Amino acid sequence: MKATKKVSPVNLSRKLEDNLKNIKDILGESSDIIIREMKISSNANVDAAVIYIDGLVDRDLVSRDILQPLMFNLQFVKDKTNQKHSSLLGCIKSSVLSVGQIKADGNIDSIVSSIMTGYTAILAQGANQALVIDTKGWEKRAIESPENEISIRGPKDSFTETLRINTALLRRKIRDPNLSLVSMQIGQRSKTDVVIAYIKGITPDNLIEEIKQRLKRIDTDAILDIGYIEQYIEENPLSLVPTVGTSERPDVVTARMLEGRAAILVDGSPMALTVPFLFVEGFQNPDDYYARPFFASFVRIIRLLGFLLSIYLPGIYVALKSFHPELFPTPLLITVAAAREGHPFPVVLEALLMLILFEILREAGLRLPRSLGQAVSIVGALVIGQAAVSAGLVGAPMVIVVAATAIASFMVVPFADTGALFRLIMTIVAGFLGLFGMIIISLEVLSHLAALRSLGVPYLSPVTPLNTSDLIKDTWLRAPLWALGSRPAFLDPLDKKRQSPDQKPHPPQNNPNERKS
Amino acid sequence: MKNRQQGKISLVILLSIISVFIVGCWDSRELSTLSLIAGLGFDLDPATKRATLTYQSIVPSQVKPSPSMGGGEGKQTGSGGLQSIQLDHDTGLSPYEVLNRYTQHGSRIPFYQHTQVIVIGKAAAEHGLYPFLDTVIRNPAGRPNILLAISDNKASDILAVEDGMENIQAVGMANIIKLSARFSKYPAVTCLDFTSRFIGKTTAPVAPIMGVFEETGPEGKRQKKIRINGTAVFKGDKMIGKLNEQESSGLLWVINQIEKGFVIIPEASLEIIGSKTKIIPELTGGKIKITVEIEEEANLIQYNNARNITPDLIHQLEKAQAREIESQVKAVIKKSMALNADIFDFGGAVHRKYKKEWKKMEPRWDDIYPTIEVSVKVKTRLDEIGDINKAIMTE
Amino acid sequence: MLEKGRISSFQLSVLLVGFVLGSSIIITPGGDAGHDAWIAIALGLMEGSLIALIFTALVLRFKDKTIIEINDLVFGKVIGKLISVLFLWYFLHLGALVLNDYVHFFRLELYPATPRTVMLLIIMLVCASTVNRGIEALARCSLILVPLTISVIFLVTMFLIPHFNLNNLMPILDLPIGKLLWSAHSVASFPFAESVVFVMILAFLNKSEKGGRAVSKALIIAGLVLIIASIRNSAVLGPMVAAYNYPSYQAVQVIDIRDIFTRLEILVAINFITMGFLKISVLLYGTVLGLAQVLNLQSYRPIILPVGILMVILALTNVANTIELFDFTHKIYPIYAVPFQIIIPLITLIIAKLRQLPKTDGGIP
Repeated sequence: MKATKKVSPVNLSRKLEDNLKNIKDILGESSDIIIREMKISSNANVDAAVIYIDGLVDRDLVSRDILQPLMFNLQFVKDKTNQKHSSLLGCIKSSVLSVGQIKADGNIDSIVSSIMTGYTAILAQGANQALVIDTKGWEKRAIESPENEISIRGPKDSFTETLRINTALLRRKIRDPNLSLVSMQIGQRSKTDVVIAYIKGITPDNLIEEIKQRLKRIDTDAILDIGYIEQYIEENPLSLVPTVGTSERPDVVTARMLEGRAAILVDGSPMALTVPFLFVEGFQNPDDYYARPFFASFVRIIRLLGFLLSIYLPGIYVALKSFHPELFPTPLLITVAAAREGHPFPVVLEALLMLILFEILREAGLRLPRSLGQAVSIVGALVIGQAAVSAGLVGAPMVIVVAATAIASFMVVPFADTGALFRLIMTIVAGFLGLFGMIIISLEVLSHLAALRSLGVPYLSPVTPLNTSDLIKDTWLRAPLWALGSRPAFLDPLDKKRQSPDQKPHPPQNNPNERKS
Repeated sequence: MKNRQQGKISLVILLSIISVFIVGCWDSRELSTLSLIAGLGFDLDPATKRATLTYQSIVPSQVKPSPSMGGGEGKQTGSGGLQSIQLDHDTGLSPYEVLNRYTQHGSRIPFYQHTQVIVIGKAAAEHGLYPFLDTVIRNPAGRPNILLAISDNKASDILAVEDGMENIQAVGMANIIKLSARFSKYPAVTCLDFTSRFIGKTTAPVAPIMGVFEETGPEGKRQKKIRINGTAVFKGDKMIGKLNEQESSGLLWVINQIEKGFVIIPEASLEIIGSKTKIIPELTGGKIKITVEIEEEANLIQYNNARNITPDLIHQLEKAQAREIESQVKAVIKKSMALNADIFDFGGAVHRKYKKEWKKMEPRWDDIYPTIEVSVKVKTRLDEIGDINKAIMTE
Repeated sequence: MLEKGRISSFQLSVLLVGFVLGSSIIITPGGDAGHDAWIAIALGLMEGSLIALIFTALVLRFKDKTIIEINDLVFGKVIGKLISVLFLWYFLHLGALVLNDYVHFFRLELYPATPRTVMLLIIMLVCASTVNRGIEALARCSLILVPLTISVIFLVTMFLIPHFNLNNLMPILDLPIGKLLWSAHSVASFPFAESVVFVMILAFLNKSEKGGRAVSKALIIAGLVLIIASIRNSAVLGPMVAAYNYPSYQAVQVIDIRDIFTRLEILVAINFITMGFLKISVLLYGTVLGLAQVLNLQSYRPIILPVGILMVILALTNVANTIELFDFTHKIYPIYAVPFQIIIPLITLIIAKLRQLPKTDGGIP
């Protein structure tokens, strides 16, 4: 623990001046801290103070529902007990203020941290307790449609930066009281709210315990984004592949929770983490479940194909060209050789050049303001597509390969960045050892993935270790929803059954409304 | 502690992998350093016993990669000439020595994995192919399904003839061989087929013979072309004879390699739909009798007489067709008996049926083979009669 | 316990299939039986299964104990250790032989100029890092690699069906019976009975009672795959099948479907890399774990690399050339392997029965 606080009394005293002084000492002289002193009680003879931070609270709420009642309405309260100072606050709490969440607190630290999160505190002379009222109401982004995970048929809402809105989005999808939201604060300075969301009775308890343990271990000064949490709780942080899933879509998160996963939400991040995250999840998309099963299965296989292509294609091209020209069919080889004639660089170099150029373009296009990004992509397309080929620096087939790879690499979003690294590795290895090297590296990667676990669940399940029914029903193929009778067994959910069996729709046996033709 | 050790180990592994890669790429061969050999010719001077190899290599820069580029250059595309291939010759004592000589004048490493066809000169074939064949199949750079052809003169002549259709002459040549096999004229023989027959001791290898002929082109120029004009018969590694066109199709009938093609009989032409041949050996009292059973099915595609087609007529045509096939088969059997070369793998058929007796027969097969009594049974069936069911002219 | 991982009997089966396919995927066993190789394989499979019965019975008798611990129990500390060392030598030597197969194949067909040391080291590094991740990771790898390999074999076989000439398989049993039996025995010793290295792995089954069935199932599946491959090679290559060093590789070169599906032989090479990887990893794992148990080490992980390097050195020095390797595998190996595959496990089993070991559990399965 860093010594950030001066030694100060822990609890409120009965003297308002002392309390205010202590709180001021802690809060400092920042301009956004408002301390409104006033006289309250029916005869307006008790000193009191209202403390809040401007910008974090809903000003309307504070002035209409707190300041106004305190200053005016209190006088109409006929309850004689308010004569006694000690229960004045109790009286205010019970019969004056018309706000929802309100509690009494005597601990200065917790009062201060409440104020920092947008609560309003009321202190009164002679009371060693303060009323802490939830008045959070800062400017927040509205719920918008997801930017990165676009769905065609699915819901169009996405998480925002505000934790409460995000949890509300989850609640609105699952009205089950078993939806549990366990919250904690992480970050010495940022004191960020973190919520573990899961469904009691589905998600295994030991998973929740494990997540709590890992979150509690985090001792850092600030959590600015969910990515911070991700890096602190990963099982194998040095792995190239992510073992924690992210999503900005409430429907995805609830679906994953319903399968027996847990979600972690962080205040200030429009993303949710879901754990455990498995390799196959990267290939699943909410639209798979909203579309009809055959096409969904087809698209999943296409995704796998695209992913493999995006990793291997440049490598294979390089390996075939510089190590195994015997593997091209003859007509293709002649074409390729003709296109290759007179180019100055070895194929590996050509490929690396193009791949790195592509990464540069991508990064530049991503970070630049949108208007400039356009310009970059036009210049890039011209430079790569046209000039490089016609100048004879790069072969036309190479451009095709890299372009196809680039497009394919965006098909599987969770592994897009991992894929870029693997692609470079594969290309380099292919340039030095050909297909043999590529296979060897693939074996190494495979054995790494096979040993990898995400929160205790083997990363490659249900493919290996094998779970046949999960593999067939919802991995590369997606069975019709009515056939998905049980939750994925590899997640070890407490409630295995998802729905009752035999829900396959069928035409009515004898249709009373049968039309006469 | 454990982690640090693991880290160290992986660091060592990483470093060694990186260093391997940095010094690596021993076997990397850029396409632009390879000379793709499309066709290979082998000649032998019988007098000096010196081998000559002819390499037909592809010149990639002359192969038009895209059709759109040819449009502007009008003249070039008309007759590409032999620009897309290059011919080289080398001479030496042994085939492999000659293969190695290539590096003395070639600017690129010869690459044989895309060789389409190997042409062997007649003199070389008659003198014996073993050293060359060994070179071809022992060398992992070759492939088992390279086509073999025998030149009726010198191999180098054949490889020098340009092909009208294909940029790469050897590709065209391979297509000629494959097409003639598909239309059941001459066998297509790969290195694997050839060596399989070769290793079988009693079975005689065969290979198509190609020749050069000249004809007058459209502009009055004399133009050289190549065509297949026979099948070479080998005994061991030496060529001992040649089958003509009729005998070659007879061979295909017997070895069950009829795919498509035509049977021409005096009054009609028939298109073969399918055919199946069985070779049934019989051993009685030390004598071998072999029955060749052919079941064939054909369509009528041409009928010379202006008569309506009746079931009776069909029956006649079937019989005439059977006679024609039988005569082809008998011709080739007679020829092979005369050459004493078991080109039909009759030995294999006997071996399959009489494996005990075969052990004694195998060494004496040369004596036995000419005495085998072969009977041919042909069953034909005529199926379709074409688009018309009436003669369009009546007598 | 040096190994904390546990594998299911299904995983064991798959790993064993991969192990048996190992190098036999490229060097079709029973090659000296010519076109009758598939009969030799079938007979060899039977003999191999019998041999497998012996060692599975032995290991499963002592639940979750590897052969090293069993030797200690049955023969006492000193003789037990001695026998264990013999086994370790066999595993190490076998690993070196597989490495040899690897290098000879790749240097002949694909990488003529790459130094063998480099090639061996690269393979060994990958195997070592997998062994380092434990038996579970290895078994899971096999679960992906083996189905892939088998489907590639079937695919390639499909593509080759147009080139089949079943006459090439006739006449059946065209071989003196003695030669056939010798061939069958050599098939049993390579690859089927080589599965004796699983005496190091069977102990980690989560349900040991299923071990016997798992082993025999795996041997049969691998045997069927090998029989199919052998029939395919004979049918395609004819009498040349006996002449080629790597018939599968040559047979696949014949594939030519419309000039596009051609030149697929790299698939065979890839199969060989992956299956060889499994085989070497299993052998390395067996050696390393056994050595750690013999030496009473806390963990087998530190000795993985040294033993791996030792295996590489052995591979570099044990044979001078390809023909010597083939000679050894065909003529000497079938006899050389008998003590390790049959005699020692059998004697151990008999002594264990006579001494009524293991005593403590009471219930002998």
